[in-house]
Amino acid sequence: MANEEEKIATLDAEGLTLQSTSLWQITWRRLFRRRSAVVGMIILAILTFIALTAQWLAPYGFDEVLIGVEDVKARELPCIHLLGCPAEKPQHLAGIDGNVRDQFSRLLYGARLSLMVGFSTVTFAIIIGTALGALAGYFGGWWDNIIMRFMDVLLAFPSLLLAIAIVTVLGPGLINALLAIGIVSIPAYARVMRASVLTVREMEYVSATRALGGSNMQILFLRILPNALTPLIVQGTLGIASAILDAAALSFLGLGAQPPTPEWGSMLGAERNQVFTAPHLVFYPGFMIMLTVLSFNLIGDGLRDALDPRLAHSS
Amino acid sequence: MKRNLFVLLSLLVLASLVLAACGGGAEAPAEETAPEATEAPAEEAPAAEEPAADFVGNSLMAADCDSTGIIKGVEATGQYEVTFTLCQPDPAFLSKIAFSVYGIYPEEWIAATAGDGTRTSEGLEAPVGTGPYMLSEWNRGESITFTANPNYWGETPAADTLVFRWSSESAARLLELQSGTVDGIDNVGPADFDVVRDDANLSLNERPALNVFYLGMTNTFAPFDNQDVRQAIAKGIDRQRIVDTFYPAGSEVASHFTPCSIPGGCEGDDWYDFDAAAAREQLAAAGFPDGFSTKIYYRDVVRSYLPQVSNVAQDIQAQLKENLNIDAEIVVMESGAFIEESTAGRLDGIYLLGWGADYPHPTNFLDYHFGEANPQFGVQSPTYFEPIAAAAQIADPAESAPLYAEANNALKEFVPMIPVAHGGSGTAYRADVTNQQASPLGNENFSLMDPGGRDVYVWMQNAEPISLFCADESDGESLRACEQVVEALYAYETNGTAAVPALAEVCEPNASLDVWTCTLRQGVTFHDGSTFDANDVVATFTMGLDASSPLHAGNTNAWEYYDYLWGLMNKPSE
Repeated sequence: MANEEEKIATLDAEGLTLQSTSLWQITWRRLFRRRSAVVGMIILAILTFIALTAQWLAPYGFDEVLIGVEDVKARELPCIHLLGCPAEKPQHLAGIDGNVRDQFSRLLYGARLSLMVGFSTVTFAIIIGTALGALAGYFGGWWDNIIMRFMDVLLAFPSLLLAIAIVTVLGPGLINALLAIGIVSIPAYARVMRASVLTVREMEYVSATRALGGSNMQILFLRILPNALTPLIVQGTLGIASAILDAAALSFLGLGAQPPTPEWGSMLGAERNQVFTAPHLVFYPGFMIMLTVLSFNLIGDGLRDALDPRLAHSS
Repeated sequence: MKRNLFVLLSLLVLASLVLAACGGGAEAPAEETAPEATEAPAEEAPAAEEPAADFVGNSLMAADCDSTGIIKGVEATGQYEVTFTLCQPDPAFLSKIAFSVYGIYPEEWIAATAGDGTRTSEGLEAPVGTGPYMLSEWNRGESITFTANPNYWGETPAADTLVFRWSSESAARLLELQSGTVDGIDNVGPADFDVVRDDANLSLNERPALNVFYLGMTNTFAPFDNQDVRQAIAKGIDRQRIVDTFYPAGSEVASHFTPCSIPGGCEGDDWYDFDAAAAREQLAAAGFPDGFSTKIYYRDVVRSYLPQVSNVAQDIQAQLKENLNIDAEIVVMESGAFIEESTAGRLDGIYLLGWGADYPHPTNFLDYHFGEANPQFGVQSPTYFEPIAAAAQIADPAESAPLYAEANNALKEFVPMIPVAHGGSGTAYRADVTNQQASPLGNENFSLMDPGGRDVYVWMQNAEPISLFCADESDGESLRACEQVVEALYAYETNGTAAVPALAEVCEPNASLDVWTCTLRQGVTFHDGSTFDANDVVATFTMGLDASSPLHAGNTNAWEYYDYLWGLMNKPSE
């Protein structure tokens, strides 16, 4: 048993001190031992900080047009005082965008949107996907057939294409894009959940609860769900990354966030034609998307390893 | 075996369903009303130089001027002579007739491709004309290939093959030009003007701003039904800021709807100056002290009148919010749907549209947009459509000037739209291309350019043509492709706007300007080998003008230019 082995390993290492450690403590400790996961968590912490404090950090409003306010031109290059930009010019860390707004401020506000997009779509998808997967796995039979075949249908479409189709029907807009991405990512969670439920369902402690007269709901929520949670956490963390990417793609195509919302994907899309004349307008939003997605992927990978008892020795 | 049969059967059923769905709609009674007009009694043609012994001239003639627009009749008065009879004097006749939409097609081809209500796919995709290039292949979504016409009556094209390609991204067009895969591109991005200027291998040609970008408002929707609201918006938008920030050099703020470079274009008072305080006051007095919510519609395509569409839309959104507290939501539409909805007057917000000149006369701008019949701004006001209609019949610019001044002042008062800018644009070519052009009317003639001795001339424009049957198109990207293949009686001079003879040697009016007689060029053959004569002209105009003719079959059957510039004949009563 993995837990036994772990305890023995701890005993060996710490010289026969035996203390009980919960799964989460162990996971947490393992996660911190993985350097890549720590990097991911640091990036995410910075992004979260930026998102929470954007209105104080940003020197300008995200929709503040600087025509006539400052002497700047559309798509001007970044002006950073530390790097030798003359002090009499106003500082714009990431330059000026095509509508004469401060690109840096828009990037900061964009962090808020992207994290919001990631968390809300995945939360939505996990709630619905888990419920469907649990129903299908626990009750089996017709429930299983109907739910999982419907999930197969959803999976049969390329996810971005399906999201585009949904947005086309609902009309473009950030909320609709979130909904579309949420719907598209439901099957992944439903499948993961069903698979876990199928294994856990046959365990002795579940039979014991049933023998003691536990209701279906009690068994499902108190016995099965907590023990099927680990794969969901990993899937969810990685899912946030792909949700952010999908939302950026939809916005790039003009189907997601509508102007003047400072969504990174739409900022990238709006200036795509200036990639040679004003590369900073394309580089920074792309870089921010990359950073965010990278942080979630690193954390997700770390979590997967940390939660996998078979890898206990290697960590 | 059984299974196969079943599959076959279901496929057949499916196919028949599709056929029924596609073909069922067009059950117009095309046959029964063949107009007697087209079959005019055989008139003895006055003997031309050629032994045209058995030439029978056709004619198209409306019963009276009530059942037609400007053109009463088109008659082949000789094998090489066509007479246009008008219901009113038309001083812009030559400028209009030179427009490529009125290009001449062979009589037999017109009949053969007329189809059932709409033109056949051959008619839409493989036009036959007399031009310097012949269509060789249209690879949908990819490119159009033309080959030089060996029997062309004019100067033989320098390049044997002409290829049209397209990309909606200005960066992509420039990249292709820089890498040498294309010889010329249209609409250099405003930010790229200097890039092209600084590149020794490329050369930039600036196109005069013969266009207008305007904000349309349809006055059948609230709150745009209120003249004060429209005036407030007109005063509350800083147009200078838009031009300064988003337009290339050579653009100017529009003082009138018609550009001043068009003779007689900007009579009357200049447009409102930007005054946010006055605008806010007027909006409050109209009952909207806190602004209102509306939408800004546009299509995300680059035109020379609007080089940075989404930036301009966002700036207008910001200005409406800042100056008038109007919350505007931006709605991007597909190009075709946008044109259809906006021109039919079905958009309930502000829409971003523009117009490029087809011929250099105020009628091209004013009559098209502000004619009584055009629903795109809602209900048109007689305060301007009456003087516009009256001015269209006057040949002398000095005499029509007061009428245009009256119309322009009425437009400023009524504000059906807000003219914003006349946008400069430019073409770029590889430096070794000779006789480079940037036509103010957007009709570059590629047969006159020599691409540095290369056999294949590749041109890259913004978009793929919609169809190549340009008699029923109004999209400039389509017209440019048609112009290489099909010619009209007159043409516009290279890089200019003056009408010069093409298929006609000369067209001369009578004293009252309502009968124009055109002497046609002889010895011209169409690409299909048939000889060009007067009956081809009559057939072409029958096709375009006579709504009751079975030949009157187009692509969408909007026939915008035939309808708006001449007025259709025998229109079905509504």
